[in-house]
Amino acid sequence: MARYLLRRLNLFLATALLMLGILFYATSLFPVEHSYALSGVRVPSLQQQAQIIEDYQLEQGELAQFIAYVQQRLGGNLGLSLTSQQPVANELASVLPASFELAIVAGLIALVLGIPLGVLASQSQHKLTQHCIMAITLTGYSIPVFWLGLLLSLWFGVRLGWLPISGQINLLYEIRPVSGFMLIDTLLSDSQYRWSAFKDVLLHLLLPAITLAVLPFTVVVRITRSAMMNVMNQTFIRAAEARGLKTSKIIVRHALPNALIPVLKHLGLMLGPFASYAIIVEMIFAWPGVGSWLISGIYQRDYTVIQGGILAVSLLIIFLNILIEVLHTVSNPLSRKELYAAN
Amino acid sequence: MRPIKIYQEDQIPSPTLRLWMLFSANPFALAGLWGVCTLLLLTLFGTYIAPFSPEAQDPRALLLPPSWDPAGTVEHFLGTDDLGRDIFSRLLHGARLTFGMSLSIVATALSMGFVIGSISGMMHGLKSSILGHLLDALLSIPSLLMAILVVAVMGPGLNNVFWAVGIALTPQFVRAIHQSVHEELQKEYVTAAKLDGANGLQIFWFVIMPNVWETVIIQTTLAISAAILDIAALGFLNLGAQAPSPEWGAMVSQGLDNLLTAPWTVTIPGVAILFSVLAINLVGDGLRSALTPIRT
Repeated sequence: MARYLLRRLNLFLATALLMLGILFYATSLFPVEHSYALSGVRVPSLQQQAQIIEDYQLEQGELAQFIAYVQQRLGGNLGLSLTSQQPVANELASVLPASFELAIVAGLIALVLGIPLGVLASQSQHKLTQHCIMAITLTGYSIPVFWLGLLLSLWFGVRLGWLPISGQINLLYEIRPVSGFMLIDTLLSDSQYRWSAFKDVLLHLLLPAITLAVLPFTVVVRITRSAMMNVMNQTFIRAAEARGLKTSKIIVRHALPNALIPVLKHLGLMLGPFASYAIIVEMIFAWPGVGSWLISGIYQRDYTVIQGGILAVSLLIIFLNILIEVLHTVSNPLSRKELYAAN
Repeated sequence: MRPIKIYQEDQIPSPTLRLWMLFSANPFALAGLWGVCTLLLLTLFGTYIAPFSPEAQDPRALLLPPSWDPAGTVEHFLGTDDLGRDIFSRLLHGARLTFGMSLSIVATALSMGFVIGSISGMMHGLKSSILGHLLDALLSIPSLLMAILVVAVMGPGLNNVFWAVGIALTPQFVRAIHQSVHEELQKEYVTAAKLDGANGLQIFWFVIMPNVWETVIIQTTLAISAAILDIAALGFLNLGAQAPSPEWGAMVSQGLDNLLTAPWTVTIPGVAILFSVLAINLVGDGLRSALTPIRT
C-alpha cells in the first residue's frame, strides 16, 4: 500500500509540475511585457524592476527561469493583480471559500437526492417509471447550464419573486468573515439578526446550488442505477435473499456499498466539467467566488489573476482526482488485488 | 417477391446488423438518430433554406414574438431580436457554427487522441506511462479554464474556441483509447495471435482494434455533446463567437438585454442547443446499451 501511495504522490507531483510548465509557457505568450505578466507591477521603480528580475531570474536561461517561477508560485507569491494592485494570493483566499460553499452544497444535493433516486430507478420494474427517470436524467445531462440558470432566475427570481437571484447575502446584514463560509459565519456572528441572516444566506444559496447540482445529480442517478442493476444480479445477493433477509436490508447493507464504488470513480471524472459549470453558475448568479473572479479577470485582461486562478483550480482538481482514486482503491478490494498483481 | 427458401438454414446476423437491430429496437435512440440526421442536413444546407441573411435587420419588426403568439407574424417564424434580425434564419446559420464546428473539433481531437493513445497503449513500461500521462495535466484543467488561457494568449474569437475545446478534448480520447488498448493487450486471444506469429502492427489493427472501436464510438458521442455545450458556453461568456455572430450561445448572450421584455430571444436558441445535445446523447445512450450485451 505504501508503494502505491508513493506512486500516486509521484503522479501528483509530476502532473502538477507539468501543469506549472504549461502555465509558464502560456505566460511567456501573453501579449504584454514578460516581467509585467509575471509580477503584475504596472510601473515598477528601478528597485522593483531589479527585484522582479532577481525573483524570476529573468536574465538566466529558460530552465532557471522556470525553477524560479515554480519557487515563486509555490511559495505563495502570485504577483499583484493588474487592476486592483492587491496581491493575487489574498484575493484568491477571499474568493475561494464562497466557491467551496457553493460546490459542497451542490454536491451534497446531488448525492443526497441522486443516490436514493438511482436505487429506486434500479428497483422499479415498471417500464414507464424507468423511461421517465431516464428521460429526465438525459435531459438534465444535456441542458446548457447558462440557459438553465437564466430560466430559473427568470422564473423563480423575477416572475414569482420567491428567491433572490444575485450575490451571497443581502447587503443589509453585516457579517464579519471568520471562516469565509457564509453559512458558518452567520451562525458564529453575535448579531441579534443572525438567524434571519442565516435564512437569507440559505435563500441566496438555493438557486445557484440547484442549478449547479443538475449535472452531478443526473450523472449520480445514472451511475447508481446501472451499478445497482449490476450488483443485484450477483450471487451474493441471491444468497442473502435465500437467507430470508428483508429487501431493504439487502439493498442498504449488501448492495449499496458495492454500487457506490463506481459512483465514486465517476465523481473523480466529473470534477473538470463540474468546475466549468461552477464558473458559469457563479457568473450568472453574481456569486463572489473564484469563477466570477476569473471571468472578470479575463474581461480585464488581468494576466496575474488568470494565472493564479487557473493554477489554484487545476492544482485542486489534480489533488482531488488523486485523492478520489486513492479512496477508490482503499474501498475496493478488487482493484487492490489488481494493484499487487501489477507490482 | 422473396426467393423461396430451399435450405433450412438460419441466417446468423453479422455483428453490425445485430448492433443495428438492438439499436433500432429502442425508440428513444431512433428518435435521437433522426434528430442528428436533421441537424446534419441543417448544418450542410441550412444556409440555403434560411429566408433571411443572419445580419439582415428589419427596423419595422423589432422584438417581434414568435408566430404562435397573437402579435407575431408567419414571416418571422420564430420572431425577431432587438435589431429586427430573424431568429429562425440566425438559428439556421448558427447550426453550422455550433454543431458543425463541434463535429470538426471532435474529428481533430479524435485523430490526435487516436494516434497518441494507440501508440502509448501498445507500448510497455515507462515510455507508455509517460506518453499516457503526458496529457493528464491538460485533463485536470477544466475546458473553460483552458479556453480562458487560450483567450488570454490569443484574444477572443471563434478560431480560438477551436483550439481551446480541442486541447481540452484530446486528453480524454488519449486516456480512453490508451486504457482500452492496454486492457485488451492483456487478454489471452492476443497472446494466441502472438503465438501465431502476428507482428505488432497486425496485432494492433486486426486483433485489438475491432474490440476498441466501441470505446472510440462511445467516447466520440460524449465528446460531441461536450463540445457543443462548451462552444455555446464560451459564446455565452463572450469569449468565443463575438457579437453579431449567430452562434447559438452568443445568441443567448445577445438576447440577455431583453430577457424580461422578449424572453424568446433567450429561450429559442437555448432550446436549439438543448435539442441538439439531447439528440446526440440519445444516440450515444442507445449505442452504449446496444453494445453492452455484445460485450458481455
